[in-house]
Amino acid sequence: MGTRLNILLGIILVACALSLINAQYQARSLFIELERTQTQSKQFELQWTQLKLDQSTYGKHSRIEAVAEKELNMTPLTADRTQYLTAEVVK
Amino acid sequence: MSRQNNNQRTAAGRGVSFSSSPVLEVRLPVWRSRLVLFFLFGAFFALMGRALFLQGMNTEFLQKQGATRYARTIELPATRGKITDRNGQVLASSIPVKAVSAFPEDVADAPKEKLVELARLLDMSEADLRKKLDSDRQFVYLKRQVEQDIADKVLALNIPGVETRKEYKRFYPEGEVMAHVVGFTNVEDKGQEGIELASEQSLAGKTGSRRVIKDRLGRIVEDIESVRVPHDGKDLKLSVDSKIQYIAYTHVKEAIEKHKAKAGGAIVLDVHTGEVLALVNLPTYNPNDRANLTGAQLRNRVMTDTFEPGSTMKPFTVALALDTKRVTPDTVFQTAPGAMTIGSATIHDAHKQGALTVAQVIQKSSNIGTAKIALQMPPQEMWEMFTSLGLGQQPKFGFPGAVAGRMKSYKTWRPIEQATMSYGHGLSVSLIQIARAYMIFARNGDTIPLTFQQSSEIQLGTRIISEKTATQVREMLETVTLPGGTAPQARIPGYRVGGKTGTAHKVEEGRYVNKYLVDFVGFAPVSNPRVIVAVMIDEPTVGGHFAGPVAGPVFAAIMQNVLRSLNVVPDSSVMNIIPDEGVPESL
Repeated sequence: MGTRLNILLGIILVACALSLINAQYQARSLFIELERTQTQSKQFELQWTQLKLDQSTYGKHSRIEAVAEKELNMTPLTADRTQYLTAEVVK
Repeated sequence: MSRQNNNQRTAAGRGVSFSSSPVLEVRLPVWRSRLVLFFLFGAFFALMGRALFLQGMNTEFLQKQGATRYARTIELPATRGKITDRNGQVLASSIPVKAVSAFPEDVADAPKEKLVELARLLDMSEADLRKKLDSDRQFVYLKRQVEQDIADKVLALNIPGVETRKEYKRFYPEGEVMAHVVGFTNVEDKGQEGIELASEQSLAGKTGSRRVIKDRLGRIVEDIESVRVPHDGKDLKLSVDSKIQYIAYTHVKEAIEKHKAKAGGAIVLDVHTGEVLALVNLPTYNPNDRANLTGAQLRNRVMTDTFEPGSTMKPFTVALALDTKRVTPDTVFQTAPGAMTIGSATIHDAHKQGALTVAQVIQKSSNIGTAKIALQMPPQEMWEMFTSLGLGQQPKFGFPGAVAGRMKSYKTWRPIEQATMSYGHGLSVSLIQIARAYMIFARNGDTIPLTFQQSSEIQLGTRIISEKTATQVREMLETVTLPGGTAPQARIPGYRVGGKTGTAHKVEEGRYVNKYLVDFVGFAPVSNPRVIVAVMIDEPTVGGHFAGPVAGPVFAAIMQNVLRSLNVVPDSSVMNIIPDEGVPESL
C-alpha cells in the first residue's frame, strides 16, 4: 500500500517537474515574443513619426504654393472672384 | 542454503572460491582505515569551510560577478515631445540618429583606405579626421547627429575602435518660416530658443531603465527588477497656424525686399481667444542648419525689440479722453498753424490741418490735436491706462526674452513729455505689446492675455474702456483706411478694416537719427473684429519712410489672406480699390 502511494507520488512529482520545465520554456518564448512585438511597436512608432514629419515637409505651404503656381498654373484667389456662401444663401 | 551456494563464485582459472580467498583473509592494521576515514572527513570539512566562505563571506561579490555575466541594464530612451501647429502639422520632431565616436588608440592602426572611406562617409576631409583621432583623450566624437543609414555604413566598415551611439536629432520641417516661434534645441536635445526653451520642462522626456537576463544569443529572457518606465516628453500644440504664418512670412519678406529694409516683423492675433496665430521675424535662419548664425538672424524682433510706437499710440489717448467724457468724437481742436510750443519745446504736424474734430485727429494723425486732448487729462490717468494695457510691463507670454518696454512713472512727467507720449514718443514698446493693446478696440473695450498654446475656451477679459468708447474709436480707426486717411493702402476688398499707422524716428545713443521704423496695427472686420494684425518694417530705404505706403500694403495683404483662410464672412461690398496716396502722417 505504502509502496503504491510512493510510486504515485513519484509519478506526480515527475509530472510536476516536467510541467514546470514546460511552463518555464513557454514563459521564456512568450517573453521573447513580447519583446519582439514591443520592438516592432517602437519601430512602427518611429516610422509614424518619420511619416508625420514627411507629411509636414511635403505639405508645407511654401511647397504647395510653388507647385500650384508653377505646375498647375494657378493664381492666388482674390475677394472679387470669390462667392461667399452663408447659411441663408444655402437654404 | 541453496541461495548461498548459488552465490559462491569461483575465481577465474584458479578454482578457489571468492569468499574463501586467501587475500581477504589478511588482517589489516586498524590505523589504515582510520587514516582513510580521517582524510575523507578532512576533505569533507574543507569543502564545508569553502562553501561557508563563499556563501557567507564572499556572497555579495560573487553574486555581482554572476550578474554581470547574464544581467544587463538597458537604457530606455525617451523621445522629446513633438511640437505641432493648431492643425496638427508637425513643426518640430525628434528622429533617432547616431553619434559616431572613436577610441583613438584602437583606431591608430586601422588601414588607410578604411579611414579615407570613413572620412568620405562622415563628409569631412581625411586631414580633419586624422586631427580628431590624433588626440590624447580616450574617447572622441567624430561626428554627431549622423543619419541612420550612414551610421550603418560606418559600422559596416568594421574599423576597430569606431562605434556609434544612439541620440536624437530634431527636425524642423517648416524651417526658417517658423524659426522664431519654435526655436531650436542643441545636440543634447535641450531647448535653446523659442518655445523649445520656454516649454523645456514638458517637452523633455525622462529616460527609464530595466534590468534583464539575457541568454547566450543576446535575447532578453526575463526582467529581474521592476522596469523604470521611460516617460516620453509631452507633445505640444501651439496656437500658431502654419498657413497664416506662411502668409505673414511671405508678405513681410516681399516688403523688406521691395523697400530694401533692414528687418521686419509681423504678428497675427485671434481676437476671441488671445491666441497668437502667427509671429514672423526677418531676417531669419534655418533651424535645421545653424552653422553660420548671426545675432541679427536670431533676434526675435516682435518680442524683444522695442521702439517708439509713434502714432499707433494716439487711439489710446483719444479713447481715454472719450471714456472719461472729456471729449466727444465731434469736439473740435484747432491744430493750426501746425506747430505748438509747450514749455521750451515745440511740436509739429507734418501737414497743417486747421480745425479738426477728435475723429479727424485720428484720421489725419495730428500730433498737435492729440497733444491738446492729452493735456486736458492728469498724467496719472494716462499712465494707469497705458499700464493696464501692458505697456511698460513685463509680459506674461511664457516666452523667453520678451521685454517690458519703457515707460516713465507719471510722477516725473513734464507737460511736454505728457504731450509727446500721447502720440507715442518718449516711451518704448515691442510689437507684440502694441498688438495686444489694440485688443481693447477689437474686443469692445476689454483685454485678454495672449497665449502661444492652443485654447478653445473663450477668455473673459478685463474691462479697460466702455463698449461705447471702443465702438467709437473703432469707427475712427476705420476712417484711417478710407480716402483722406493716412493709410488707404491698408484697405482690402470685401472687408471693413480699421487700424493706425505709426512712423518712428529711430533713437541711437540717445538722439534721433535719420532712420525710421514704420508700423501698422489694425483689425478686421470692423463690424465684428476677428483678427489683429501688426506689421513693422525697420529702416525702409526705398519707396519712402512713411507707414501708410510701406506698412499699409503689407498689412492689407496679410489681413486679406488671413480672413479668407479663417473663412470670415465679408462685411462690406467687394469693390475695386482705386489706389490712393493718402495723407502723410506726423512723425
